[in-house]
Amino acid sequence: MVQRELMAILEVFFFPGFLFLFSLAFFIEWFDRKLVAKFQNRYGPLYVGPKGILQPIADFLKLLSKEDITPAMADKVPFALIPLLMLTFSMTPLFCIPITGSSALISFEGDLIVVMFIMTLTALLSFLGAWVSTNRFSTIGGVRTGLQMFGYEVPLNIVMIGPAIGAGSLSISGIVEWQSRGVWFIMTQILGFAVFSLCLLAHLQRVPFDIPEAETEIVAGWLVEFSGKKLALIRLAKNFELVLAASLMVSLYLGGPTGTLLPNPLTFLIKLVFCTFILSNLRALFARYRIDQFLAAAWKYLIPLALLQISLVEVSLW
Amino acid sequence: MVILMAMEDELLESLKKKPVTLRFPYERARPEDRMQAKVTWEIEKCIGCNLCVKVCPSNAIKLIGRGRKAEIRYHVGRCLFCGECVDVCPTKAIQTTKEFELAFTKPEEMILEFRR
Amino acid sequence: MVKAIDIPFGPQHPALEEPINFTFEVEEERVVDVKIRLGYIHRGIEKLAENRTYHQNVYLVERICGICSFAHTTCYTQAVEELLGVDIPERAKYIRTIFCEMERIQNHYLWLGFTAKAMGFETLFMYTWRDREAMLEVLEMISGKRVNYGMNTIGGVRRDITGKMVERMEERLNYLEERANYYKKVCTKERSILKRTVGVGMLEPSDALNLCAVGPTLRASGIPQDVRADEPYAAYGEIPFRVVTYDGCDVASRILVRIDEIIESVKMIRRALDGMPQGPIRVKVPKNVPKGEAVSLVEAPRGEDLHYLRSDGSDRPARLKVRAPTLANLPSLRKMLKGVNIADIPIVIAGIDPCLACMERVILVDTKSKKGQAWSGEELWRYANEWYRES
Repeated sequence: MVQRELMAILEVFFFPGFLFLFSLAFFIEWFDRKLVAKFQNRYGPLYVGPKGILQPIADFLKLLSKEDITPAMADKVPFALIPLLMLTFSMTPLFCIPITGSSALISFEGDLIVVMFIMTLTALLSFLGAWVSTNRFSTIGGVRTGLQMFGYEVPLNIVMIGPAIGAGSLSISGIVEWQSRGVWFIMTQILGFAVFSLCLLAHLQRVPFDIPEAETEIVAGWLVEFSGKKLALIRLAKNFELVLAASLMVSLYLGGPTGTLLPNPLTFLIKLVFCTFILSNLRALFARYRIDQFLAAAWKYLIPLALLQISLVEVSLW
Repeated sequence: MVILMAMEDELLESLKKKPVTLRFPYERARPEDRMQAKVTWEIEKCIGCNLCVKVCPSNAIKLIGRGRKAEIRYHVGRCLFCGECVDVCPTKAIQTTKEFELAFTKPEEMILEFRR
Repeated sequence: MVKAIDIPFGPQHPALEEPINFTFEVEEERVVDVKIRLGYIHRGIEKLAENRTYHQNVYLVERICGICSFAHTTCYTQAVEELLGVDIPERAKYIRTIFCEMERIQNHYLWLGFTAKAMGFETLFMYTWRDREAMLEVLEMISGKRVNYGMNTIGGVRRDITGKMVERMEERLNYLEERANYYKKVCTKERSILKRTVGVGMLEPSDALNLCAVGPTLRASGIPQDVRADEPYAAYGEIPFRVVTYDGCDVASRILVRIDEIIESVKMIRRALDGMPQGPIRVKVPKNVPKGEAVSLVEAPRGEDLHYLRSDGSDRPARLKVRAPTLANLPSLRKMLKGVNIADIPIVIAGIDPCLACMERVILVDTKSKKGQAWSGEELWRYANEWYRES
């Protein structure tokens, strides 16, 4: 009895819990930076740790030690709370992702819906963060975040339902379980996978959809007033979102931690790195879109494609 | 024709290449033959003709004393490394070096003196 | 209807390399009006030039602009040579031409990267700056410097191009031409670039002429005006070339004009290297310049560059006036910015290739009446000298 509780505590705090997730977040950031640097024919992080692998941690610690400024006009309490909430909201869904086996730490029927809900909440939080910091640039950034959400949220949620219909389950573990029998959803729903990756790019606010924080246009968009510890937490939260995005791609379309001869966590990691590769590659490939162009493209192409995918799934089941 | 991802081929190709950037303090590019940086005086050759002082566009050179006893005060911080003084010197007492990392911690260090 | 709000843009902003202040009056996402405010980095170079000899001023003028330094020195030395009445050797003219074109190539590569950055295309930015390095290496090989070459002098150039250097140049020029063709392909085909540039920052040909736009900005509006062709200086009269124009009037055309100019410049350098005569590269000139006035024009990478020089017979200029190309493009920039999206502001500003420190102006404003006042040369001279005496 005691042993089981001890195991549970270990799972939550070490593997595949907090410690693992933190190191994973830093690792993925390093991998992303290094890969984009490689694409751009430069070195990327180099000196902290072997091949610069500890650079994200160094950056995080550096930001923690920096001066933390709250603007005089800002709404103090929400302004301080938002980074914390961002971190929590981007970390929580990761506990629903199966890493060691086909079932996750937290798993129940309908956790896919919860994940969708929390992902929407993080987008709303960044809008709120922009609003309470009362800066002109951040206000524009916040409005853009909100507008962008109207564009990608609908197709994202539609295509996320695709695998759920295919597997007949609304839990991520259920979907992974179904795929472990041999058929991955990427084989049957390649269109959905493409739409899903694009929507995730928009959700992560990365090039070509980094419209809300477009550096050359509105400085840092909604992030502009956050500094020091708050910025460190937000950046960490963004790393978690990247991990979450990649691991959702893995779980929903690539069969989760199962399907190869390697041990499960290793399989998961390899697939995760592959998905991050796709996201990083896309990031290095485009110019930034304008917000109206993004919205037009989302409603003209992404949503019809997502609906087409869903109807194809329905037809194939029927 | 309009295509998406026009640069993908280039991106994948650069995965195979070595980065072009140099890891500067540890790796350095070979300086070009004509590179000009800090200049030095061979003070024994100097005849104190004052030509380098006149030609210097940024007043980086000062002559202290006169004639063959003159000494040179050279403000590295003002120098543009144009090399006019090298060209103008009648006795070839001035040479350029390839020393270009000229950051100092104190203003006094930026003034070099060439004494006899 | 949303009330218009003012958005300050600069003097410190990630999209700007140099300080300038724009105040945008914005309705929803559209820019209705723009106010441009200059004067953050006025360096008083024209005044400084009056205290130095003609020879020393070559290096001062070179530092007006870091990127088009050779255009400025060419312009200045031409003015002095005109006053002196000296003819520089043919070989020096060819070397000047080659340097002008090499400078144009490196400037346009730099600009392409800067514009790519403005539209959020980081990879293109990194690639173009990597390739620009090939040109800088050649420039360093010949002159010993990467940006402020110190090549020009009154009466010719200071360094020669040897046969060994020509070989290395040919190799680099081939690479640069190949890359320029590749970027042309990318910029005409990549959908996300086209989305951001086509139809953005329109400048109709009539407006471009009325507002006195110069350089690639003007040529992208379909008007073939180029100092190199209209009033050939150096060896441009002997080297055939095509004046590149596009008639899209938008940022996309400005990109294409510049990429085509890179390709054209590579061809011009090849022709110049083939036709370069042997001989001396500089002539000796007297220290004092006879009394008189001269105006000299040069097509800098950013457009027409103008230097006016007045001499009173001494070894120092009585007046040097510099009109850098960016100043001529500012009125048309204001025109282009009206009606664009907030998101398009950086790319439209980048489109004219702004070089602010070169063109900085100062206006004296009476704070009570809020009116600027024009000063005569005499008043300025008195003001400057009295101010120095007081402090």
